[in-house]
Amino acid sequence: MFAYIVKRLISGFIVVVLISMGVFALYWFGPRNPAQPLCNIDTNNRCRPAMLKAYEHNMGFDDSVVHQYGLWAKGVFAGRTMELGATPYHCPAPCLGMDYRTKQPVWEELKVKFPATLSVAVGASVIFLVVGVSTGVLAARRRGTLVDKSLVTGTLIFSSIPFYLVALLAMLWFTISLGLFPDTGYYPLTQNPLKWFSGLLLPWLVLGIWQSTSYTRFSRGSMVESLNEDYIRTARAKGLRSRTVVFKHALRAAMVPVVTIFGLDFATLLAGTIFAERIFSIEGIGKWGLDAVTVKNLPVVSATVLVASVAVVVSNLLVDLVYSVLDPRVRLT
Amino acid sequence: MRLTKPLAVAAAGALAMSLAACGGGGNGGNGNGGNQPGGTPTYQGAGTAGSAKDATAKGPAQPIPNATSGGTVTVLYPSPDTGLATLDPSPGWSVTGNAIEQDLVARSLTTFRQDPKTGDMSLVPDLATDLGQHNADFTEWSFTLKSGIKYENGKPVTPQDIKFGIERSFDLGSLVGPGSQYSAAYFLDGDKYKGPYDKATKGQDYKGVTIKGNKITIKMSKPFPDMDYWGSFEAMGPIPQGNVSNPPKYGLHPWATGPYKVQSFQPNQQLVLVKNNQWDPNTDPARHQYVDKWIMKFDQDPEKTDQIALSGNQASQTTITTSLLAQNYADAKQKLGSRLVQGSQPCTYFNYPDYKKISNIKIRQALGYAYPYQDAWSAGGEIVGVTRVPGNAILPPGMVGRKTYGPIDGQQVTYDPQKAKQLLKEAGVKPGTYKVSWVYKKDDPQGVNAMQQISKAYKASGFVPNPIGVTGSLYDTWTNPDDKVNKSLNLRGVAWCSDWPSGLTFIPPLFQSNQLYNTGYFSEKSVDNRIKQIPTLPLNQQPAAWSDLDKTIETKFYPAINTGYSNVMMTYGSKIGNFNNDPNYGAPNYRDIYVKK
Amino acid sequence: MSHQLEQLEPALVDDERPVSEDREIAGKSPLQIAFGRLLRDKIAMASLTVVILFALIAIFAPLLAHLFNVNLDTQSTCEVTDCNAASYSYGLPLKGPPLHGFDPEHPFGIAPQNGVDNLAFWLYGARNSLFIATMATIISTFIGLTLGLIAGYAGGIVDRMISFLTDLFLAVPYILAALSLAPILDERFAIHPALQSKVTFWSLIGILSVLGWMYLARLMRGEVLSLREREYVEAARLIGMPTRRILVREILPNLVAPIVVAISLGLPAYVTAEAGLAFLGIGIVGRPSWGQTIDAATNWWQRYPLYLWEPVIGIVLLVVALNLLGDSIRDALDPKTRR
Repeated sequence: MFAYIVKRLISGFIVVVLISMGVFALYWFGPRNPAQPLCNIDTNNRCRPAMLKAYEHNMGFDDSVVHQYGLWAKGVFAGRTMELGATPYHCPAPCLGMDYRTKQPVWEELKVKFPATLSVAVGASVIFLVVGVSTGVLAARRRGTLVDKSLVTGTLIFSSIPFYLVALLAMLWFTISLGLFPDTGYYPLTQNPLKWFSGLLLPWLVLGIWQSTSYTRFSRGSMVESLNEDYIRTARAKGLRSRTVVFKHALRAAMVPVVTIFGLDFATLLAGTIFAERIFSIEGIGKWGLDAVTVKNLPVVSATVLVASVAVVVSNLLVDLVYSVLDPRVRLT
Repeated sequence: MRLTKPLAVAAAGALAMSLAACGGGGNGGNGNGGNQPGGTPTYQGAGTAGSAKDATAKGPAQPIPNATSGGTVTVLYPSPDTGLATLDPSPGWSVTGNAIEQDLVARSLTTFRQDPKTGDMSLVPDLATDLGQHNADFTEWSFTLKSGIKYENGKPVTPQDIKFGIERSFDLGSLVGPGSQYSAAYFLDGDKYKGPYDKATKGQDYKGVTIKGNKITIKMSKPFPDMDYWGSFEAMGPIPQGNVSNPPKYGLHPWATGPYKVQSFQPNQQLVLVKNNQWDPNTDPARHQYVDKWIMKFDQDPEKTDQIALSGNQASQTTITTSLLAQNYADAKQKLGSRLVQGSQPCTYFNYPDYKKISNIKIRQALGYAYPYQDAWSAGGEIVGVTRVPGNAILPPGMVGRKTYGPIDGQQVTYDPQKAKQLLKEAGVKPGTYKVSWVYKKDDPQGVNAMQQISKAYKASGFVPNPIGVTGSLYDTWTNPDDKVNKSLNLRGVAWCSDWPSGLTFIPPLFQSNQLYNTGYFSEKSVDNRIKQIPTLPLNQQPAAWSDLDKTIETKFYPAINTGYSNVMMTYGSKIGNFNNDPNYGAPNYRDIYVKK
Repeated sequence: MSHQLEQLEPALVDDERPVSEDREIAGKSPLQIAFGRLLRDKIAMASLTVVILFALIAIFAPLLAHLFNVNLDTQSTCEVTDCNAASYSYGLPLKGPPLHGFDPEHPFGIAPQNGVDNLAFWLYGARNSLFIATMATIISTFIGLTLGLIAGYAGGIVDRMISFLTDLFLAVPYILAALSLAPILDERFAIHPALQSKVTFWSLIGILSVLGWMYLARLMRGEVLSLREREYVEAARLIGMPTRRILVREILPNLVAPIVVAISLGLPAYVTAEAGLAFLGIGIVGRPSWGQTIDAATNWWQRYPLYLWEPVIGIVLLVVALNLLGDSIRDALDPKTRR
């Protein structure tokens, strides 16, 4: 078990390193001139060719890619002093670069943005797990009935509408036209729990309910399958109460694949709920990355991509571990 | 709700507001200051200069009738307005930023005050006791700092701080701003001195500014008659010396001298301002401090912003929005009435044919007739005749001494494919053979719409349209001489706003040889010479001289196709009192706003 | 990315199905049985009809546009939409919906602010959306299948390398990656507008496929791993059948079911993904797509709702039909439902 975790961590680490290299390559081969974005931002689009040259030199874009990657990687562990334009900045470890716009270490900003995304992700997960699994179990127990069929078809149709459209219309109707929900946005939980809750309520509901549809279908299928397993039949035959059979035995087995999907979904959510954050004006990782892409704020783009990949790697590992706990047949080697 | 939308999409898709902004507007009786609530604009020729300056204005500012203290005002800036990246006064050169900072936070040598009756702006002393004393040929100016001015933390503002602020305006690094256009161009040693942070001039004493007691004397390298206007920029204000003001940290929380100070600031997202109790109204002839708290939210979703303004709900009553989608205009006019404000702006949009590649004036004129002005505006999301109006001079309305004219045969240029074809024929070009290459923003649906309209019209006029889609700012392409795409173009563009109501801030940057924003590479000796000559003329002759040059350039050479002047549409909630457009910017005049009880 | 995960979803087991009708089991291959079941599944047939209808629309879009006498030509904005700022209908079409009832010349109305015919845009949009989704499905299925087969069958170091590659691509956030890559790719071709339009189009397909093959690869690998140990495969190996032949002749036929399921569920996922990317501003340019209309129409949701609903209904109908069909195919192919 321990050896397995170490092995997975090493391979995950290599994945993250390779992705960081890919992101770094974006600096070089991305925009027409890699120094242009910062020069534009700094000068409010008044970047002159001479200045661009100076920026290029200061930022090391006339240096070799490999050497600069070395410097960047060293900065992640040891921090570094870097020049943006003509001004030197100190960027303490873990240094993921300096935000072109705010001239703050990206890591510091990440610490501010992450709680927002985490709040959205956790809240929405609670909703889609509870709603999705319970409707799924309901449909499975009543399979073949009208309840089952309408649940299955209804969720299928709902989840076929693109998420951004659902979110956008919900926001326009519920908060603005009807005024049913307070204005959305992220307020730190530690400062004002009530505002935190009210600002995220609509995003949670919309994301949660939309996402729950796939969990409904999923847990229904899984549940139907596990209700057909021999040991469930045996349990029934022994005269155990239906309720006990469903919730104690069948559900546990049915949850195994649900956990897999949930782990990966949660990682995606952590990587930035781009559409939700953009539409509900939540200043999290997703909107941060999206805004950064438009102005080619490369340090931020690379940081958000890295966060996303780390989230996926870690949650993949966690899913496998949970798997082994839930399903004794699975052995990790 | 889109990712990117350039500020102005028609024309060749120019980015105006954040480019060269600010500057003077109304002057004289028939200026265009003030508001035209929801109506059609009534532009008239500008009045005369002179009445727009009041060197004797004293604090406190005249109270606004019925104004009450207290309340919180929320201002929403819809995308693509990403607001401010930094609050540092030195680089401040944008409509959104300068309006907020100069009205509320950062005081400078001079400032503008709005006449409550006419809405006209006049230049008044701010931190200085008057509008400056100058020698005969405008090569030396001196200002005297008022005593008792303090920063938000109670520390006194010294003349040395003002000198330091001026020094910072020379920076060409991360603080580059309007100083590169004015301090560097007119002040002594402007070509050599690069500010207190550049490696070359770090620790050097700048010889151009000398201090005696409270008197600050600035020496020029050439005549600079507009120094009093330049003094109204936040860049010409005090900056505390030493490490506290090191960029970029200082930009997150500059020391306020105005009626409000920064409570919190997230660049390009949100700014919260609260009352600055160290501000002394008796020293300030232009600003008020009625509102308790300002919340500025940038980069808001445009449709959402409009719906909030239209909803009239509790929160919207104390909310201001700074632009409006074209499709909500009629609705807003009906629901908001006079709370929908059309704000004028001193900006002109141009299509700029490459003067070297399209050297025949007849082809340039044909391009003028081939441009589908109204179709392109409407498809590009403008409200025809409201947020975009036809241009009849290079200088936009509000400029001192401005005269209008017809650039071709004394006539205004409108869309006329027949005339375009005729001109092409006269130029010896067979219809359907002349290729026009220009760039548009392909990630903006309205930019694409406008491009389609323009292509259709060019084709109908006998040209071969060759639009090239790019992402990012069009200026990246236009201003980069090494860019492959740029080299292939023969039609570029530029949008320009005046910094103050003088032709000096408009004609030289666009029509002098080898200027960055002379994107058509227009170059005529006679024009260059006249541009150098005008600032040396007697002050009262300069406005007419600029205006004459304006007409000469367009009638004689027709180097640039005027694609209109811009206006902004703003809305304010029912509990906002005394809302006015500041015609210097085309932004709310924050100074005089209060919240109704 | 949850939509792609649905491929892993266990079958919806439906024991209400009248399985006993399969009388002549002996003479039928599993595929034939599945096909027979599918034919009797009403939902599947209805979905299939819808899908075929959309496919026909996509294929014959130019013909249909011609039939309805509509085209994609640019109209002068102010000739077909209201350019009078004082009017309440500013920007809205002068004829047809939403203000003037049905216009036979433009059955779906015309777009506000630019006047392009909505029906023509919708038809060509269907064509492009389906083409992109189909191509992306084919390419990603091909990549996923090949890599999965090789990894599962070869095992050892090859397996580990491919599995690592799969993990690597899984960890790439696809929206951000697409957003970053798209401008880079087409900036390189900006100088040639005609080429650029093609490049944008194919780079979108490329991005969607490159970031969409991993789940199938994993699935295939797992299947092959278990098939590899079967007696008949071992027998084939023992008699010296070449590896390529074993893979193609012995193993691949057993994978048809999961592949068909993957394809039928991949298609709708790509249709949605294309629309989502268009909404974020990196869709295709120079060609119509539903995502572009939705992007433009969201700002008109109140004043011209039809403009928004047309592409939305198109997408929802197509995606629902494809998903239902996918579900049915999976059920039909699942051996467990034959119990």
